[in-house]
Amino acid sequence: MSRPFSAWALPSSVQAAVLSTVSLDGGRGAGEDGDIRVEYPAGAPDWIASVVDALEVSRSSLVRRSAEGIAGLLGAVGFRFMSPGDPIREEALRLLPGTAGVSAEMAETILDGMAADWTPARLAALLGEEFGAPGMLDEFTEGRGQRSIPVGPRLTAQFVSGSVPGVSVNALIRALLVKSPTLVKPGLGDVVLPVLFVRALREADAALADAVAVVYWPGGSVSSEDIVLARAEMVTAYGGDDTVAALRARVPVSTRFRAYHHRTSIGVVGRGALGPATVSTTTDDLARAVAVFDQRGCVSPQVVFVEEGGEMSPAAFADALAASFEALEADLPGGALDAAEASTLQQLRGTAEMMGAAGSGVECTHGGTASWTVIFDPDAQLASACVGRVVRVRPIPSAQDLPAVLESVAAHLQTVGVAGLGQNLDGLAERLGRLGASRVVPFAQVPFPPAWWHHDGGGPLRDLVRYIDLSSENCRI
Amino acid sequence: MTVEERDQTAFHSLAARLEVLFGQGPDQAWTDEEFGALALEVFEVQFTSNVVYRGFCEGRGVTSASVDDWRQIPAVPTRAFKHLDLLSASPAEATFQTSGTTSDLGLRGRHLIPRVSLYEASLLPCFSAHLMPEGKSLRFISLIPDPEHARDSSLSYMVGAAARRFASRTDYVVDGSGVVDHGVLAAAVADAQAAAEAVLMLGTAFAFMNVMEHSDVCLGPLPQGSRIMETGGFKGRGRAVPRDELYEAMSRATSVPVERIVNEYGMTELLSQLYEPVLTGESLGCGHIAPPWLQVRAVDPTTLRELPEGEAGLLTFFDLANAGSVAHILTEDFGAVRDGRVFLEGRAAGAEPRGCSRAMDELMAVAR
Repeated sequence: MSRPFSAWALPSSVQAAVLSTVSLDGGRGAGEDGDIRVEYPAGAPDWIASVVDALEVSRSSLVRRSAEGIAGLLGAVGFRFMSPGDPIREEALRLLPGTAGVSAEMAETILDGMAADWTPARLAALLGEEFGAPGMLDEFTEGRGQRSIPVGPRLTAQFVSGSVPGVSVNALIRALLVKSPTLVKPGLGDVVLPVLFVRALREADAALADAVAVVYWPGGSVSSEDIVLARAEMVTAYGGDDTVAALRARVPVSTRFRAYHHRTSIGVVGRGALGPATVSTTTDDLARAVAVFDQRGCVSPQVVFVEEGGEMSPAAFADALAASFEALEADLPGGALDAAEASTLQQLRGTAEMMGAAGSGVECTHGGTASWTVIFDPDAQLASACVGRVVRVRPIPSAQDLPAVLESVAAHLQTVGVAGLGQNLDGLAERLGRLGASRVVPFAQVPFPPAWWHHDGGGPLRDLVRYIDLSSENCRI
Repeated sequence: MTVEERDQTAFHSLAARLEVLFGQGPDQAWTDEEFGALALEVFEVQFTSNVVYRGFCEGRGVTSASVDDWRQIPAVPTRAFKHLDLLSASPAEATFQTSGTTSDLGLRGRHLIPRVSLYEASLLPCFSAHLMPEGKSLRFISLIPDPEHARDSSLSYMVGAAARRFASRTDYVVDGSGVVDHGVLAAAVADAQAAAEAVLMLGTAFAFMNVMEHSDVCLGPLPQGSRIMETGGFKGRGRAVPRDELYEAMSRATSVPVERIVNEYGMTELLSQLYEPVLTGESLGCGHIAPPWLQVRAVDPTTLRELPEGEAGLLTFFDLANAGSVAHILTEDFGAVRDGRVFLEGRAAGAEPRGCSRAMDELMAVAR
């Protein structure tokens, strides 16, 4: 028995058009309610145009609000997702496993981690980090010989991948904080949270909710998307390189475009973390960093480089990491893989075992029906795959060698999780950063960056705004 | 006698027996006991002489002494062929390569064959039973490269071996990389028309589609009694054209009725092939038939447990013709087994990474 979920939240003047549906079932980890059937408006291009019309109408009242006031309202809504017993949180937890393909425990971990950034205090801090003071967005502020104000786009169109639930909510919050009406198209795995968020926002402040449209449609629906792209002042795209490239090619030259394309993240374990007293903390934190989002996040470490010459060898570290995964599986079970993912994992594991038997030094430890898999791969011989909690461990003589090893992935490098680097940390962080990494943090912090993180190196709000400069006649520079 | 020589002898004496059994034809009914006993013998040879495979089995807690049912023998994933030479008797008489795919660093798999006569013993009777059941020789027109020009292709080898045995004349109308020479093709078709001799046209689905994109290229009409072997139509994701549309287009282009187009399913890693038995009176979609020396099972992709009759899962093959390498193969193809027939579904879509994360090594491979 599948139950329907309506994957849209629209300005009050717009009705959902004829519906289409897509069923989520099979390996996606159906929740207690069974499989979920996602319904979405089979919007003709003129219907999409009416959504954009409504969003544009909302702008005049949106820009009259104070940024601090918007943050307070959004924060109050976000706080409900953190509050045990709140019906909106309960509904989110009920729907996430079946739509995002995660276990119930993982749904709770993800919701807690994501919603921690949606509170009034965090959103006020985000405004402060980005603009100094929230009032900056409300009126011209005195600068050197001129006054300036950052303004949000007339319309921000946002295309979000479905790999990590909650990213769509971050996206809509960012636009609203800079007073930009926004249309968010979430990926299939992330339809629940933005729809519920806007539903709760409507209860709190219907006029503010009218500045957001969340609507799912299958990616690549060109005629509808082109209408949105033509009328947006700003487009953001979260997703794989191919998706982002296809979208970028269709965005008008005068429209600003912010891409959050493919990213890959890694771990580095220095000799300082390989002592008997610290290693289990490191492997527990690392296993958790891989496990959250079941390795689908751009922050999820794919490969962990372990320094040789420490008290524990890299191979022994891989064994300890496997033990941490095994223990974690009880607290934070992995989501079910679909058939194709399960097949890919079987190929990967079996091939790794065969290579181990061939004396290549490859060792593969895994969780059987649980997806976690640690592959010790000293010579990087094996292709990996983003299917569940698969991580590779590679020995490295010194962490100082890493920038050279990572040269070819520089353009896609994002988070570097670290442990045990001691006084080498700052120097290595700068070198990896100049290479392309944008975030170097302890493993425990890897999964959930704070709201004000420099997302892929940019300011999450500053990337959206443009400035108006105003200089009076009697003003000298 | 050295250990290696003893292993060689064991393999070749088993292979010689298998060749005789295969020669009795694919229509022979083998009991499960007959197949099982031979499978265990094949495993004994492979476990003894293939050190890598032995290590793999031991890692899974299986030895030749511990196994009493062939289904317990560990299956090797097809991707292992991309990294390792899985020879159970040396030296190799032939080496076949898989076509490169974008996954897995673009590596091509290698299948080393220590005794090509065993391959021929398997392929020839199935080929003739499903493509030439009347037992009369035919003229071959092949869109599959001449084995002389594609020595690493197991498919070309198959066509070449069958042509030597069964063809009255063979025209290869493609070059070594599969590019069709339209002039040669037109001449071959015209010649067959003039001789009014029935043709067996052979090609991959991809090749047929490519040829038919050129409206000026003539694939027919082929004389009465002609038939087509199409292969590859079940491979890969997202077939550009649905099968019935492809077959109708092929039929229009060649005048060969749709019900005389035979799908062959094979892969470099397996030396036996499956066919849809449409020339022996069955209809399209009736399922593929394997010879009795090839057992096919659908297994759960997560647990690798065998699924109940008719349920779709990952296909595993135990092919006695693979005695010289590894016999038990885990593929990435999905399908169901029902009443001894294999219903292929091809690769499942969705194995691509979801979201913004991407396997590190695929990126690193760019710089290699």
